[in-house]
Amino acid sequence: MIEVDEKDLIRCPVCEAVNIDRGRDNRCRRCGSPIYRYTHFKTEKSWAYLITAIIAYVPANLYPMLVTTQFGKTEESTIVGGIIVMWESGSYPIAAVIFFASILVPIMKFLILVYLLINVKYPMGKDKKINKHKLYYMTEVVGPWSMIDVFVVAILAALIHMHNVEIIAGTAATAFALSVFFTLLAAQAFDESLIKENH
Amino acid sequence: MAFRYLIYLVTIIAMKLENEDALDHLIICDQCRTLHEEIPIEDGTKACCIKCGNVLYRYDSRLTDHGLALSLTALIFFAVANFFPIVQIEMLGNEQFITIPMTFLSLFENGFYFVGLMCAVVLFLFPLTIFALLVLLFLLLKLKKGEELSRSLLIGLSFMKPWSMNDIFLISILVALVKLIGYAQIHMGIAFWALVVFVLLDIYMTKHIHLKDIWMLREQIFMEKE
Ligand SMILES: [Zn+2]
Ligand SMILES: [Zn+2]
Repeated sequence: MIEVDEKDLIRCPVCEAVNIDRGRDNRCRRCGSPIYRYTHFKTEKSWAYLITAIIAYVPANLYPMLVTTQFGKTEESTIVGGIIVMWESGSYPIAAVIFFASILVPIMKFLILVYLLINVKYPMGKDKKINKHKLYYMTEVVGPWSMIDVFVVAILAALIHMHNVEIIAGTAATAFALSVFFTLLAAQAFDESLIKENH
Repeated sequence: MAFRYLIYLVTIIAMKLENEDALDHLIICDQCRTLHEEIPIEDGTKACCIKCGNVLYRYDSRLTDHGLALSLTALIFFAVANFFPIVQIEMLGNEQFITIPMTFLSLFENGFYFVGLMCAVVLFLFPLTIFALLVLLFLLLKLKKGEELSRSLLIGLSFMKPWSMNDIFLISILVALVKLIGYAQIHMGIAFWALVVFVLLDIYMTKHIHLKDIWMLREQIFMEKE
C-alpha cells in the first residue's frame, strides 16, 4: 500500500499518464519522459524563447510584409498598413482576420506567457480566481493561427509573378515567422505543472 | 451521443493505492487539472470532465480499425492535395496555378529560407509524417506487435502534433483569394477540395481519437498478451 496526497499526483505532458511526484527526477512510468515540477527548473529557457519572440515581433511590424510591383511601380506594405488598406477598401472580414491573427493573437500570447512566467516565481495573492491552466491551454490552441498572414504572403508570392505584376514576400515575413516559432517554443518549454505550485 | 460524468475525486486529500499500477485508473483533465477516477463506459461514448466539460477519454471497441481506415484515407487525400493545383488564376491574360509544395519552394527561390523551411515543415513534412506514423501505429496495434516501437511512435506523434497547420493554411488560401477578387479570375483546383477533406479528417481525428486513448488501447493490448 502506498499513501499519496492528491497534490502529489502529476500528469505526464507527453502521454498524459498520472504519476506520483517524487521531486527532482520524475520519469513517466508509461513513456519514460521526464516530468519537471520544481520552480528553479526550466523557466529560464522559456523566458529566453519568449524574449527572442518579442524582439523579432518589432521588425515584423516595421518592415514590409508584402512587396508588390505593378507595371514598374513598387509598393511596400507592412502588416498594419495592409490591415488599414483592406479596411478602407471595404474588406472588413479580411481586415479583421489579419488583425486577429497578426496583432491580437501574438500580443495576447506574449502577455499571457509573461504573466504566467512571473506568476510561477512570484505568486500574487489575489489572482486565484483566474484559471491559469485554461489560460495556458488557450495560448496553445490559438497561437498557431498567427501564421495566417505568413501563409497568405507565401500563397500570393507563389501565385503572382507575371511580367507586369509581381508580388514578393518582405523582410517582415522572416521576422514574423521567427516570432511565431519562438513563441511556440516558449509555450512548449513552459512547464504547465509549475502552475499547480501556488494554488 | 450519450456521455456520463465521472466520479469527482478532488475532495479526497490522501488515498491509498495498492501499487503504482493503480494510478492507471486516475486521469487528470488536460485543461483544468481536475483529478478524476476512470470508470468503464459504454462502447461509443465519452467521459467528460466534471468541472470544465472537456472530453477526458472515449471508448471505441473498434478503435484500431477506425483509426487505420481514417489515417489511410487522410494520407491518400493528402497526396492528392499536394500533387495537383490548389488554385488557378487568370490575370491580365496570364494563367498561373500553385500547388502546396510550390508555396514553400518559391519562398526558397526568393531567399526566404527560414519562412520556406517553416512552411515546408508545418504544411508538408509533419502532416505527412504524422499520418504515415499513425498508419504504422494502428497496423502494429492490429497485429499486436511492436510494444517498444509503438511507444516511440506515440511519443513522436505527441511532439509533432502542435506543428501541423494545414487547417490554418486552408483559411489562408481563402484570405489570399478574397484579396485577389476583382483583379483575377479564380478557379479552384482538385487539390483544394482534397485539402478540405484532409483537414476535415484531421479535425475529426483530433477531436475523436486522442493520443491518450491510443495509449490506453496499447496498454490493454500488450497487457493481454502477457
Ligand atoms: Zn508519459
Ligand atoms: Zn477539466
